[in-house]
Amino acid sequence: MQQVEDRTPRVALVGNPNSGKSTVFNLLTGLRQQTGNFPGVTVEIKKGRMRFPSGKEATLIDFPGTYSLYPTSSDEKLVAAVMCDPQNPFFPDALIYIADVTHLERHLLLLTQLLDLHLPVILALNMSDTALEMGIKVNTAKLIERLGIPVISISGRKEDNIQKLLYEVEKTLKNPIRTAENVFFYKLSDGEKQIADAVRHNLGIDNPYRALLLVHHRDWLPYLQRQQREILGTIAETKDFQSLRAQVDETLDRFDRFVPIVRDAIQQPPVFPSTATDRIDAVLTHRWWGPFIFVAVMLLIFQAIFDWSGYPMDAIENGFGILSDGVQSTLGEGWFTELLTDGILAGFSGILVFVPQIALLFLLIAILEEVGYMARVVFMFDKTMRRFGMNGRSVISLISGSACAVPAIMSSRTIGNWQERLITVMVTPFISCSARIPVYLVLIGLAVPAVKVAGILSAQTLVFGSMYALGVIAALLSGWAMKKWLRTREPSFLAIELPEYRMPHWKNVWLSVWEKVLAFVSGAGKIILVVSIVLWALSRYGPGDSIALATEQAHTEAIAMRLDSNQTEDFVQQRRLEASFAGKMGKSFEPLIRPLGYDWKIGIALLTSFAAREVFTGTLAVLYNMGSEEGDINNRDENEAKATLRSKMKTETFSDTGKPVYSLATAMSLLVFYALAMQCFSTLAVVKRETGSWKWAALQFFAMSLLAYFGAWAVYEIFS
Amino acid sequence: MQRRYRTIPDLKINESACTISISDAALACKLTAMGVLPGTRIEMVRTSPFGNAYYIKVDGVRIALREEEAASILLEI
Repeated sequence: MQQVEDRTPRVALVGNPNSGKSTVFNLLTGLRQQTGNFPGVTVEIKKGRMRFPSGKEATLIDFPGTYSLYPTSSDEKLVAAVMCDPQNPFFPDALIYIADVTHLERHLLLLTQLLDLHLPVILALNMSDTALEMGIKVNTAKLIERLGIPVISISGRKEDNIQKLLYEVEKTLKNPIRTAENVFFYKLSDGEKQIADAVRHNLGIDNPYRALLLVHHRDWLPYLQRQQREILGTIAETKDFQSLRAQVDETLDRFDRFVPIVRDAIQQPPVFPSTATDRIDAVLTHRWWGPFIFVAVMLLIFQAIFDWSGYPMDAIENGFGILSDGVQSTLGEGWFTELLTDGILAGFSGILVFVPQIALLFLLIAILEEVGYMARVVFMFDKTMRRFGMNGRSVISLISGSACAVPAIMSSRTIGNWQERLITVMVTPFISCSARIPVYLVLIGLAVPAVKVAGILSAQTLVFGSMYALGVIAALLSGWAMKKWLRTREPSFLAIELPEYRMPHWKNVWLSVWEKVLAFVSGAGKIILVVSIVLWALSRYGPGDSIALATEQAHTEAIAMRLDSNQTEDFVQQRRLEASFAGKMGKSFEPLIRPLGYDWKIGIALLTSFAAREVFTGTLAVLYNMGSEEGDINNRDENEAKATLRSKMKTETFSDTGKPVYSLATAMSLLVFYALAMQCFSTLAVVKRETGSWKWAALQFFAMSLLAYFGAWAVYEIFS
Repeated sequence: MQRRYRTIPDLKINESACTISISDAALACKLTAMGVLPGTRIEMVRTSPFGNAYYIKVDGVRIALREEEAASILLEI
C-alpha cells in the first residue's frame, strides 16, 4: 500500500453519464482545474484541487461518466484502466460516487463493481432537490446499512450538503472504510473462480474481481506487459472464457442484488409522468420540424458569431498594433526589435485575435450541450453520419470544427468505435475554422463583384457561404471514402441517453468555454508562436550576404527611380524579403504552383500561412510593398487596409507574361485551396496525439494538400 | 414457424412491451449496463427524422437506439 501521508491525497469522482457529476466537480474545484494527458491512453483527464473544512487539500480527479467497468469507448476505458491498477498515478485514495437519486435503480451498477475492488467509496445521492419535488423519499440510513459505506444526499445545482460531503471525504481519507476482504457483491461463478485463482497464482493478484477484470480487458489494458498478456490469454483459453457473455451474466446478477436494496430504501417509488421534456421533444425531434430547427439554430449561431465577434477582434488587433509601435519606438531599430514585433508580438496577436470567435462559438455549443439538445442532434443525425463513416456524436466535433479544429478533435473522444472516431478526427479540419475567415474576406473582396444575385443575396455572401459548404462536402465525402477503405468489424453503438431538458448551469457553461479556449491557446497557440518566430527568421535572413546585397541594390534602384523615403523603405523591404530564405523558397516552388495561377509571392504567403492561415494577408501586405505607406499592418483602419491591399493586388502582373496575377480564376483557385488545404501544424500535432501515431497526421496532411492542389487547379482551369 | 417475439421496430408509436432478452452479446453488455434488463417495459416514442433510429423510454429514461440495436432487443408478444 502506498503511504497517503507523504503526498496530496487523490480523490476520484465517478458515476454514470448524466448523473450531474461535472456540476459537482466544478462546485468542488472551481477554477482550480487543469487537464493533463493520461499516460498510455489518449485521453485527457481533468484534475482540480479541493479544500476540506479543516484547510487540508486533496486532488480531485474527474473520471469520464460510464455505466460499468466494461467500457465501449476510450473515455470509458480510462475508468477501468485506473481502477484495475493500484500503481497508476491516478489511482484514488478515496472515491466519490455520484448517482442520480431519481433513477437510483439504474445508477448503482458501477458502484457495486468498485466495491468489489474493495475501494473506499462514498455514495453521493445527487439531484436530491428534484427527488423532493417528485415526492421521492430515500432512507439513507438503510442504504448505509445495506451497502456498508457512507451515503449522503446532495444537490450539485442547489449546492446542498456539499460541506457534509467534504467532511465525509476527509474522514474517509483518514480512515478508509473498505469492504471486508471476503465480502463481494457479485458472487463469481465456478468458472470465474478458477480463472481468478489462476491469475492469483501466476500474477499475484489477490482481489478476485480485479483478477477477473484483467482477463476481460487483457487485450487493451495499457500497463500490462506482453508476457502478462500472454499468461492471461492462456488462462482465458484453457478455461474457455467467453468475455461478453460473462459480462452480461455478471451485470444481470448485480442488478438482481442491488435493485431490491434500492427498492427497500426508497419509501416512495418514483413515477414518471409525461413531462415538459416530452412535449419539447415532440417538436425538436419531430420528423420534419427536427432537422429544420437544427439548421435554423446553426444559422443563428453563425449569424451571432459574425455579428458580435468583430468588435473584440478589432480591439485586440489594434491593441497589439499600439503595443508593437510602442516597442519599436522605445527599443529602436534592430534585429531584436524585429524579433519582438514581427515574430513574437505578431504570433501572440495571431493567437489572441481568434479567441473571441472561438469563445463565442463554444459558449453557444456549451449551452446547447448543457440544455440537453446535443444528445437529440446525435439521435437525429446518426443515420446520416453513418453513411459517411462517422456517427451521430461526430456532429458535435464537426460543429466545433468551425471554431477551431484542435478542441473539436479532442471532443471526438466520446465516440466508441475506433474507425468512426478516426474518420471524425481526419475530416474535421475540412470544416472552415475561424482562421480561414480573414483570408476568405480579402480574396472574395478582390475577385467577386459586390452585386446582388436574384435581387436579394449578395454575390459575395453567396461565395462566402459556398466556402463553408465546400468544407462540409469535402468532410463528408472523405469520410465516405475512408469508410470504403478501412472497414473494421469493431462494434459501433448509438445507445445514448437523452437527458431531461433543463436550464443551463452557468458555472458548467463558463468552465467549458474556459477549457476550450485554453485548449486552443495552449495547444494551437504554442505552435503558432514557434512557427511565427521561425517564419520571421526565414524572412529576415537569407543565404550568405544576399540580404545585404539586395538592400544595397534596392537603395541604388530607388534613387534611380526617384522614390521618396517611405517608398524607398517599402521597396527595400520588398527586395529584402525576395532575397531571404522565405523568398528563395517561394521562388523555387513557383513552377509547382504556377498551374494554379499563383506567382512566387503567393507561394511565400502559402508557406507562411502554415503557422496560422490569417498570416496570408499580412505576408501579402509586405510583399506588395505597402508597409510604411499605410503604417503598420495592425494599426490601420481594417477596411481601408484591405481596400489598399486589394488595389495593390489588382495591379500585380506576372513578370514573364505581363498578365494580371489576380484574375477571378486565381482568386477562386486560392479560395478553394484555403478551404481544403491542411495548413495548421497545431491540428496535425493534436491528430498525432489523439490517434497515437504520426502516420494518420501525415496521411491527413498529404491527402488534404493534394486535394487542395488539384481542387484549386481544376477551379483555375474552369474560371480562366 | 411463427416468431415468438417482437422487436422494437415492430412496435407502433406509444405502444410498449416487456423485454425478453437481447440477442447481440456486445450490445447486451452495453444495454444491460444502461438498465435495459429482461422484464423491463419499453415504450416506443418515435422514429428519427431520417429513419433507422428509435427514441424509446425505459422506466422514465429516454434512450436513442439504432435500427440494428433496436432489432436485437426481443420483446414479448
